[in-house]
Amino acid sequence: MLAYIIRRLWQMIPTMLGVVLLVFLLFNWVGGDPAYILAGKISNPEQIANIRRQLGLDEPVYIQLWIFINQILSFDFGSSWSTGEPVSQILSTRLGPSLTLLIPLTILETVIAIALALAVAYVRGSLTDRVVMIVCTVAMSISILVYIIVFQYGFAYKLGLFPVQGWGEGFAENLFHYAALPIIILLAVSIAPNLRLFRTFVLDEVGQDYVRTARAKGLSESRILWVHVLRNAAIPIITYVMSNLPALLIGAFLVERFFSIPGIGREIILAVERSDFPVIKAITVYVAFATMLFNLLTDLLYQAVDPRVKLK
Amino acid sequence: MSMATLSSQHSPGLWTLAWRRLRVDRVAMLSLAVVLLFLLTLVLSATELIAADWEVEVGVNYAPPSFVGAQSASERGMTEAPATTAETPPENPYDPLKDVIRQLRAEMANSAAPSVTNDYGIPDPLEKELTEIRSNQSTTSVSLEKQETLPLGADKWGHDIIKKTIKGAETSIIVGLVSALLATVLGTLFGALSGYFGGWIDDCFNWFYSIFTSIPYLLLILAVAAVLQQKGVTTIILILGLTGWTGVFRLIRAEYMKHKEREYVLAADAIGASHWRKMFVHIFPNVSHVALVQMSILVVGFIKSEVILSFLGFGVPVGVVSWGSMLNEAQNELILGKWWQLTAATVAMAVLVTAFSLFTDALRDALDPKLK
Amino acid sequence: MTNKVEDNLLEVRDLRVQFRIDKANTFDAVKGISFDIPRNMTVALVGESGSGKSVSALAVMGLLPVENARVDPASGIVFDGRNLLALSAAERRKLCGKDMSMIFQEPMSSLNPVFTVGFQITEVLRLHMGMSAKQARTRVIELLEEVGLPDPASRIDYYPSQLSGGQQQRVMIAMAIACEPKLLIADEPTTALDVTIQKQIIDLIISLQQRRQMSVLFITHDLALVAEIADRVIVMRHGEIQEQGDAQQIFAHPSHPYTQALLHCRPSLDTRPQRLPVIDDMMQGDKKTDIVLPQRTRGYAVGEQPLLVVNKLSKSFFSRVGLFGKKEFKAVQNVSFTLPRGKTLGIVGESGSGKTTVGLTLLRLHTATGGQALFDGKDILAMSRQEFLAYKRRIQIVFQNPYASLNPRFTVGQILMEPMQIHQIGANDQERTALAFQWLHKVGLPEASFHRYPHEFSGGQRQRIAIARCLTLQPEVLVCDESVSALDVSVQAQVLNLLQDLQDEFGISYIFISHDLSVVKYMADQVMVMHQGEVVEMADSDELYRHPSHPYTQALLGAIPKGMHQPR
Repeated sequence: MLAYIIRRLWQMIPTMLGVVLLVFLLFNWVGGDPAYILAGKISNPEQIANIRRQLGLDEPVYIQLWIFINQILSFDFGSSWSTGEPVSQILSTRLGPSLTLLIPLTILETVIAIALALAVAYVRGSLTDRVVMIVCTVAMSISILVYIIVFQYGFAYKLGLFPVQGWGEGFAENLFHYAALPIIILLAVSIAPNLRLFRTFVLDEVGQDYVRTARAKGLSESRILWVHVLRNAAIPIITYVMSNLPALLIGAFLVERFFSIPGIGREIILAVERSDFPVIKAITVYVAFATMLFNLLTDLLYQAVDPRVKLK
Repeated sequence: MSMATLSSQHSPGLWTLAWRRLRVDRVAMLSLAVVLLFLLTLVLSATELIAADWEVEVGVNYAPPSFVGAQSASERGMTEAPATTAETPPENPYDPLKDVIRQLRAEMANSAAPSVTNDYGIPDPLEKELTEIRSNQSTTSVSLEKQETLPLGADKWGHDIIKKTIKGAETSIIVGLVSALLATVLGTLFGALSGYFGGWIDDCFNWFYSIFTSIPYLLLILAVAAVLQQKGVTTIILILGLTGWTGVFRLIRAEYMKHKEREYVLAADAIGASHWRKMFVHIFPNVSHVALVQMSILVVGFIKSEVILSFLGFGVPVGVVSWGSMLNEAQNELILGKWWQLTAATVAMAVLVTAFSLFTDALRDALDPKLK
Repeated sequence: MTNKVEDNLLEVRDLRVQFRIDKANTFDAVKGISFDIPRNMTVALVGESGSGKSVSALAVMGLLPVENARVDPASGIVFDGRNLLALSAAERRKLCGKDMSMIFQEPMSSLNPVFTVGFQITEVLRLHMGMSAKQARTRVIELLEEVGLPDPASRIDYYPSQLSGGQQQRVMIAMAIACEPKLLIADEPTTALDVTIQKQIIDLIISLQQRRQMSVLFITHDLALVAEIADRVIVMRHGEIQEQGDAQQIFAHPSHPYTQALLHCRPSLDTRPQRLPVIDDMMQGDKKTDIVLPQRTRGYAVGEQPLLVVNKLSKSFFSRVGLFGKKEFKAVQNVSFTLPRGKTLGIVGESGSGKTTVGLTLLRLHTATGGQALFDGKDILAMSRQEFLAYKRRIQIVFQNPYASLNPRFTVGQILMEPMQIHQIGANDQERTALAFQWLHKVGLPEASFHRYPHEFSGGQRQRIAIARCLTLQPEVLVCDESVSALDVSVQAQVLNLLQDLQDEFGISYIFISHDLSVVKYMADQVMVMHQGEVVEMADSDELYRHPSHPYTQALLGAIPKGMHQPR
């Protein structure tokens, strides 16, 4: 087991280097000289000179790369080009709100989607099944933007059930008051695609031979679905949910922006709007690392959940 | 040992069989019809046969749809920027200057008619030409009179929503189709090479794959958008296409790895087929339907991504219409109670994407039917 | 067979089952069959693929997929006096697993991979017998012992993937007999297992039948297999019953031509006629079967110049272990043999013996790790790819799976033309098309096949196409890698006859690889027995079968079902 983990970490290194190179190429080379980019946004020439010196733009390329790597390893990307706030501080403070949104969301959406998928599998092939699938398709074809605009307008602005925007101090206040409508919106958006996917996973299992054996034993359909099939379908479901988590951090950016929730997603959008490269670079690199670690975790979890798989 | 009827010379291949299955599926045919309708609109719009003049402000600001009825003057007046005519306040009988004011007002009302003499009492030598120009202006401004209602309403500046929606469709479909094509071609090529040859070629492509997939897709798009300063449809297509190949890659690679071990490929090897021949003459026709379905799925995804990008302002430049920019405007309009742009963009997008998705599902089932 | 009470446990009357293929088409899988299963008897239901035998069993159990299968309501299935089709789904479920149970062909996929063996068996005990968890666990260990699973106390907590195929099937059997059923349906329970294990499982089922006084419905495609165990035999073909009755009667005097074909088309260990009889011969009446065809002699002649000489052929597969280690799996170790012109070398072994790897390595579809193969004096394993291209004409291979060896997107014409185009046989495509027609004719297929796709042909026809593909190059050596193993018995005989005709006409040498000992004895001049990658014994085929010297060979021969000694 330990050997496996070490080997996986070792295999991650080229990928990490690749990500660093990609980000470096994108921002230091394609992105161009900050003097040019920030010309219209920062008027203080000394500030710009400072930034250029920090990045070592007058030095050869490999020195610039070395500076970048150092930044990554020491968690110090300097300060935001627009607000001057240290990037590390930005990252650490924005993580909390994002997680407050994402963890309850993930739990709820997974549980609800699984329950619905099993229910739909129960009536597979029937008219209900087809109608539900078409409704899902239609629901998925409406842009998330529309969901946000309409829900925000309807439930927050018009009906006043939730705050239109904002974030508070206390955890409970944030969770139940400010995060409530965003979570509801993201739930509404995610149910259709998750239901479709989980339904596929469940139906793949239902077609397997062991289900026929279970019926030959005289088990009821509901026991077959909820015990036998679910336990098998849980494997691809868990894999999917786990590997999707890092992406969710960013995926919530629209909601964060609309509701002015100070999370990582919103930070990214602001950074892109303001061409605030250090912030974008830092977030990209660290999220990529998190994704790789999550993939490793997912594989380990997979081993625990599927007795057929042996660590290699 | 009996054989199928020997009458027909040519028996149906995969695509013919799939088409036969599709033809019977009513939902599939309906979705296909809708998609084709959109494509037709696209062609007409791109060749400027329709909606070319979307920029002309043919309606009054925020003109509502015809079926709702025109806004009252007060509704409109409330929403217009500087008032074109100031309403005259009521006269104050106790004002000592009321006579002077009355005279001034009368003069102002007459100022619509241009004064024949200038301030110095000398007749204007260019007076005839000026009168002519002014009369021309008034006739043209009469024909440009803005309509009170339009079939689907107007936006803040009076643009016809129908035309904007059509233009938005043009943008979205072009972006969706071309980027999907680009991503599919890249993914298929890389996947084929990687899956077939294995070894260091596979390691190399996998390295790229893991880099691109470690960064969440949206983040990657935003990062690239941040860096590429110039906006445009080509830029979006490049961004989406060059980052979206990973899903296709993984699938096609898996297919190639599977087929490489199949006996018909071993048989091809045994009779002396070259690598190139095995990859593209033998295996590819068995894998092309997977690539096609993936491309179809990508089109839907890219349309949705383009809308979001344009909404945020990272997508199309200012002069180009996108459903995303329409939704952006709609956000503010909604608070003022104007819902028509939001509805038009949403419904158009929903219809296209639903039709495309349903057709994709039907296509997948027709190409690879399993007894459900 | 002892006399047993003739009280019918199961009575099936006019059973009809229809499948829906797509919106417009249906398919009649079972077309009105009637049979009885008496109490305490073993009834064999024999038929080839597509005969409807499995579908009938699934209909009795109520396990047909509801989405697309339809049992005609006019059918009658009466079990222990109750009309099953009149019962509700819940009532029927109560019978499944308790009074009637079923085991399937593929034990690996028939067991739930994520639950332990113990969990799956206790489940059925707790459901039908109302046992507590503790009681059930004790009972499960007893059952596992009864079915011959070694070390049941610890195996009860194993996952199916940790057991071998034979052990998994024993677990399935334990699960099926746990609640003392009156009827056990075994659907091809041994087809997926090795020959030596097959015998053990069949013996187990029979001993359980006798000990527990239950009826067994044994479904198989191999009539010979049930000769020793069946009291009654039912023969099915294309959804209809061809013949049924007392087992001894059927084996001694089969009345229906199809039954006769099933019995006689298989190569037997005792005789080796010039040609195997095929179904058409049977259908024409008794006259043909009375003619005793001359025997074919086989064996290597002394002093024959070998065409192919293989010395110490080895092939190992490597996999990564730990951080830096490598694990070697020796698939083939030091295999040596010779092959003269126009003769057949048979390679026999169970799964994992390496016999298929030998064939693939000779064709250079795998890269050998050691050894040499001298074809007409030159080592074809050491040549460059370019040089070997010329030799590809001379040595070819026919694979086992007729459904995977032809590219589904190519027409038969394209399949046949391709090798000729690559090796520049024939001056232009017109000539090649004419040649292709010739070869189609030679393998017994009509010219119209040229424009058709493989999916329109049956398994036997596809193998013929595969053989024709090889013939276009006019090879001197043909490797037949389990080429008839996936075919039904009646079709097998036809393909074997074709191969023999081709050898007689063109003098092709064969390397005939198979796990089926009777077939190998029929086809091969010399036989090489392989076990776990090594050659265990090699001799002229008559000699080997008469006097096997190695214990493994003896075990293999001992496992062949015997009830087939017919006076000829």
